[in-house]
Amino acid sequence: MKFSVERSKPPVVAALLAGTSLLAAPVLAQDGMNTTKLTSEVVLDDLDNPWDMAFLEDGTMLFTEKCSGLSVLMPDGSVNALYGVGEAEGYPESGSDLFCEGQAGMMGVAFDPEFESNRRIYVYATSNMSDPHTNRLMRFTLSEDFSSVSDRTDIVDDVVYKMAASDHPFGGPGAHNGGRVRFGPDGALYLTTGDTHNSEVPQSPTMMGSKVLRIDTDGNAHPDNAPPEGFDKRTYTYGHRNVQGLAFHPETGAAITAEHGPWHSDEITILENGGNAGWDPRPNMAGRGDCPDDYCGYSPNQAEGMNRYERAAFMPMTDFETYPDAMPPIWNNNGWSQGTSSAAFLSGEQWGDWDGAMVVGIMGIGFGGTPIGQRIDVIQFNDEYNDVYDVTEMTLPMDPGRFRSVVSGPDGSLYTSIDEGTIYKLTPGN
Amino acid sequence: MWKTICLGVGLALIGTVGVADEKEATASDTGVVQADTTDAAKTDAATELQDVDLAAAKKIFSRSCRACHGNKAQGAASYPSLSDKEPTYIVERLERYRSGETIGPNSILMIQHAKKLSDEDIASLAVYVTTAFE
Repeated sequence: MKFSVERSKPPVVAALLAGTSLLAAPVLAQDGMNTTKLTSEVVLDDLDNPWDMAFLEDGTMLFTEKCSGLSVLMPDGSVNALYGVGEAEGYPESGSDLFCEGQAGMMGVAFDPEFESNRRIYVYATSNMSDPHTNRLMRFTLSEDFSSVSDRTDIVDDVVYKMAASDHPFGGPGAHNGGRVRFGPDGALYLTTGDTHNSEVPQSPTMMGSKVLRIDTDGNAHPDNAPPEGFDKRTYTYGHRNVQGLAFHPETGAAITAEHGPWHSDEITILENGGNAGWDPRPNMAGRGDCPDDYCGYSPNQAEGMNRYERAAFMPMTDFETYPDAMPPIWNNNGWSQGTSSAAFLSGEQWGDWDGAMVVGIMGIGFGGTPIGQRIDVIQFNDEYNDVYDVTEMTLPMDPGRFRSVVSGPDGSLYTSIDEGTIYKLTPGN
Repeated sequence: MWKTICLGVGLALIGTVGVADEKEATASDTGVVQADTTDAAKTDAATELQDVDLAAAKKIFSRSCRACHGNKAQGAASYPSLSDKEPTYIVERLERYRSGETIGPNSILMIQHAKKLSDEDIASLAVYVTTAFE
């Protein structure tokens, strides 16, 4: 079939599409109704699924691209490619064992708090070095001129990976890896992982999916971790579904997760050392029978839309009946699941009433009547910092996208990456 | 403000006859998109005239497609690009999903969305996602 264009008619389509040209504009401002007016600036564009960023005080920004690799944006605006995924081109060095598949690939990244003296950085990525394959947390030394990495050491090499497709939504290989890497105010290294569509993983004491790990920079368990007896001592919390958001409250230091829900109930949870997040999608328990491929995560009706509260009753995100002591979420996105992926805290007077508030990036799904919900929410805590006081949707100065990552920069701006390939800087003011 | 634009689309032919690969529709820089009258499809009795309503397609795209496939249909995460495909490919895939056929790991998502689409919606979307973001 060929299509051709008749040129004599009025430019109706051009008018219709004029709005899309705004996408390419680097700087926009708008008068929002929220607490804070924001401007946006494109930091980097045309990236390949940017997944995470990490900053030094001078603005140096590490960033990962899921199927490409690790790079660094220097304060002068230049970009150095550092470490590639598999055969990805343009990197001075690559991990031949690294690969991307479905949701898996190169994900979280962090600078060591002592980077100035030890030059260490940490990157989480999917590797085929083991069989079955695993997700690994790698430690590198970054050269003085920020042009190369060396001394790869896999300090965690056993985070489970989904090898084969299954009969589920998003059912391809590589599902649910978690992926955020952050240092806490306690100086410990935290890594979030996912359930890989395997119902045994979340409550497993030894499989390192569905956990938040708290470790040192050699991968050893933090000595204060207090998981139940028999658990891998690296476990800080367990029973998660797929945690991609992790941030630490600036006043209390508490680790707080933002997590994808199973077609209902995205959650924000204040973690408790050794706590169970209460996700247990096993069949033939908690009132359930068999489920497709032994995973009830999308049951009872994984092919059709249905009321989200009915879903939650059948397959709760936090199962208090089975686990009465489970950590309670403080937010459940009004019962919706919309792809809640990342979390950070805003800092600085420039944010007005939002100074000290948490932000979560939401990617949007839009299945079975669920509103897509691509947005950044501002979560304000109560005076005790133990519950949500108010939630405001940011009025964005640019088009929304799949907000994979939100990170506070050293300049007080909020940086956010969208899967579509852009990293934005959001700054309060006109 | 919603304007309907006419496009001849041989929907019934798709997948059954050889079709040209060239994507010549450039709706974003001109106005009206029409079927090429030299196309073999025109001579086939199965050809039918479809309304291509790009405004309606934009609305459907915003509501049902962009959250996964990206704000410019460029593909994102584990979801493929649409903007680099041919309109015929989009039509063919949407029709198969609409029939309930499982094609890949995200078929459950696609079937749900496609089931709601009319022939006109599919034709409009196929043109929109392959031309609007050039």
